[in-house]
Amino acid sequence: MKSFEYTITDPVGIHARPAGILVKEVKGFAGSTVTIAKGEKSVNALKLMALMQMGIKQGDTVTVSVEGGDEEAVCTALENFFKANL
Amino acid sequence: MALDYRKCAEEIFSHLGGRENIISAAHCATRLRLVIADNSKLDKEALENVEGVKGMFDSNGQLQLIIGTGTVNKVYDEFLAVTGMTAATKDDVKAAAASKMPVWKKILKTPGDVFVPILPAIVASGLMMGIVEAIPKFAPAFGKTDLFSFLDLVANTAFALLPVLVAISSARVFGGNIFLGAVIGLMMVHPALLNAWNVGTAETIPTWSIFFYPIQQVGYQGHVIPVILAVLLMSTLEKWLHKHVPEMIDLFVTPLVTVVVTAYLTFTVIGPVFSIVENWVLSGAKWLITVGYGAGAAIMGAIYPLTVVMGLHHMYNVIEAGMISSTGVNTWMPIATAANIAQFGACLAVALKCKSQKTKSVALPSSLSASLGITEPAIFGINFRYMKPFVAGMIGGAVGALFSTFIKGTDMSGNVVAFGATTYGVTGIPGIPAINNIPMYLLLMVISAGTAFAITWFIWKEDEPKKAPVAAAPKPEAIEAPATSVIRCAAGTILQPAKGEVIAREQIPDDTFAQGILGDGVGVRPVDGTVVAPFDGTVTSVFGTKHAITLEKDGMELLIHVGVNTVNMAGDGFEAYVKDGDEVKAGQKLLTFDSAKIKAAGYDDTVVVLLTNSDDLEGVECGAK
Repeated sequence: MKSFEYTITDPVGIHARPAGILVKEVKGFAGSTVTIAKGEKSVNALKLMALMQMGIKQGDTVTVSVEGGDEEAVCTALENFFKANL
Repeated sequence: MALDYRKCAEEIFSHLGGRENIISAAHCATRLRLVIADNSKLDKEALENVEGVKGMFDSNGQLQLIIGTGTVNKVYDEFLAVTGMTAATKDDVKAAAASKMPVWKKILKTPGDVFVPILPAIVASGLMMGIVEAIPKFAPAFGKTDLFSFLDLVANTAFALLPVLVAISSARVFGGNIFLGAVIGLMMVHPALLNAWNVGTAETIPTWSIFFYPIQQVGYQGHVIPVILAVLLMSTLEKWLHKHVPEMIDLFVTPLVTVVVTAYLTFTVIGPVFSIVENWVLSGAKWLITVGYGAGAAIMGAIYPLTVVMGLHHMYNVIEAGMISSTGVNTWMPIATAANIAQFGACLAVALKCKSQKTKSVALPSSLSASLGITEPAIFGINFRYMKPFVAGMIGGAVGALFSTFIKGTDMSGNVVAFGATTYGVTGIPGIPAINNIPMYLLLMVISAGTAFAITWFIWKEDEPKKAPVAAAPKPEAIEAPATSVIRCAAGTILQPAKGEVIAREQIPDDTFAQGILGDGVGVRPVDGTVVAPFDGTVTSVFGTKHAITLEKDGMELLIHVGVNTVNMAGDGFEAYVKDGDEVKAGQKLLTFDSAKIKAAGYDDTVVVLLTNSDDLEGVECGAK
């Protein structure tokens, strides 16, 4: 399992639309399971509703974990995605 | 259905304003008793509507949740587990509550705290005395037998030596050593002193002259207030000495000094002064219940349940104890019975009239308990919650109390005396053996309970607003399911959640929504600023900014998002009427928004309705139908 930490810079946090594009991005990595954790809560990044219910805001630090598939590559791609979009 | 104790405890906890807002928790036979730091942080309405909570009352600094016999202990255990608190005894809770109480309330509460623990002794003696003294009325010869003398001695022991019981109990209440307390009590009824009951017939009252100060050698049989105060002084002195006397000599100096000083002050100051005060209180009470052709009694009968609500009714024990020791008849008891049995009548009316099973299941046992003189479940669980039955009970109590003033009783020798009981601490049906006119007592109960029952039956209706069964549920007439559907799939149908023209997803003026990244759905150009539930389902999440909400039903996950980029308005112009986890009915109001404000802020107000998991659902079809 590979993971990285990221502090959200988007002023509205992981809200409906950012969550939507994140889910879309994660769907592209069919072979991997991506988990997003904040504090004690963690969700599967494919679950849009659960992701939105996390209520992740600007300044919150989340841990993104990748399991299965080409973990290294997926992790890098996601890290770039977070930096660009969130 | 059995109550889910865990869920009940968790729900209660969720409405208490956080762990740090709970000072302590305990339970009694029916109630969960909590001491809360800041009452304004409570969600009282939500608390009352938690499944399993039959009623709520905030009294004497305690938040009391009525849960029920046999259930409260289980909920309490779960509550401790949920909150991570340790068990507090009822005394801890009372102490924590007492520190929050205003001084006048503490003073009024003290007699109750002293008397409640000794009530079993009083009730046993009193009922026995009632029975023993009733027999000679029918069989005068019995009064001359040895058996009668023996039973009479047993029956009057607790009354004859009452100061001892009061002193021990007071020592516990005030935190003094209970054996020193017992010594003070025993001293006040010492056989070497002239018995207080014989003062009137004694030719001379012996006195001591100590430091040129005359002290009458008279006991305090039948007194209460001087005893409580003597022990208060003793306990205070004892605690002070423990702190200031060196430990080496504390063991013998402290008890010795405590007893000697208390004894001297008791016989010189406290006893004489407060015996007079006590007589005033007693005369005042007797005056009150006889004044104005029964008007005073009627008023007392009416306000009695209010003192129960405040938990101050045990202070009447002082008056009742005084009445028994001075005249042998407790004339206060019929008034208390009238008041209590009236609450029974009111509660029974609710039990028989209500249709809600939940209400019935609380009201019926509560009314039975009230008929036995324990009115708290009926008052807090039913009558006081709905208010009208409580008021009906007050009226019934007043009528019964008024009636009681026209009654006379007979003592064991057949003499006509005031109507009353030989004991206190019992009212209602258990009071029957102790009363000196049983037929009239039964009639009194019928009158009080009947009046309260009839009034409640006619003025109380079940669908009062306080009875709304589910938190935040709107009035039934407000719910009207929308006529058109906007999304249909194998799992179910999504009705149109906002009035206005329905547009295709692709026409929503935002790429993320339009491309279906968040799922398939439609947009609505809103006309009236209200979002309603599109199906009977569950609210899974209301966004902090109140511009979007997610709902779930049968595997359909729905997002209703008001406007585009409106998250930036941070809730301004939006209002939410439901919260996470609420069950909603199709057509129930969820959110409102101000279209003008959205437009003024430079955003589009299209209401976006998307099935976020449309990829996983079969046969999804969008568009108004």
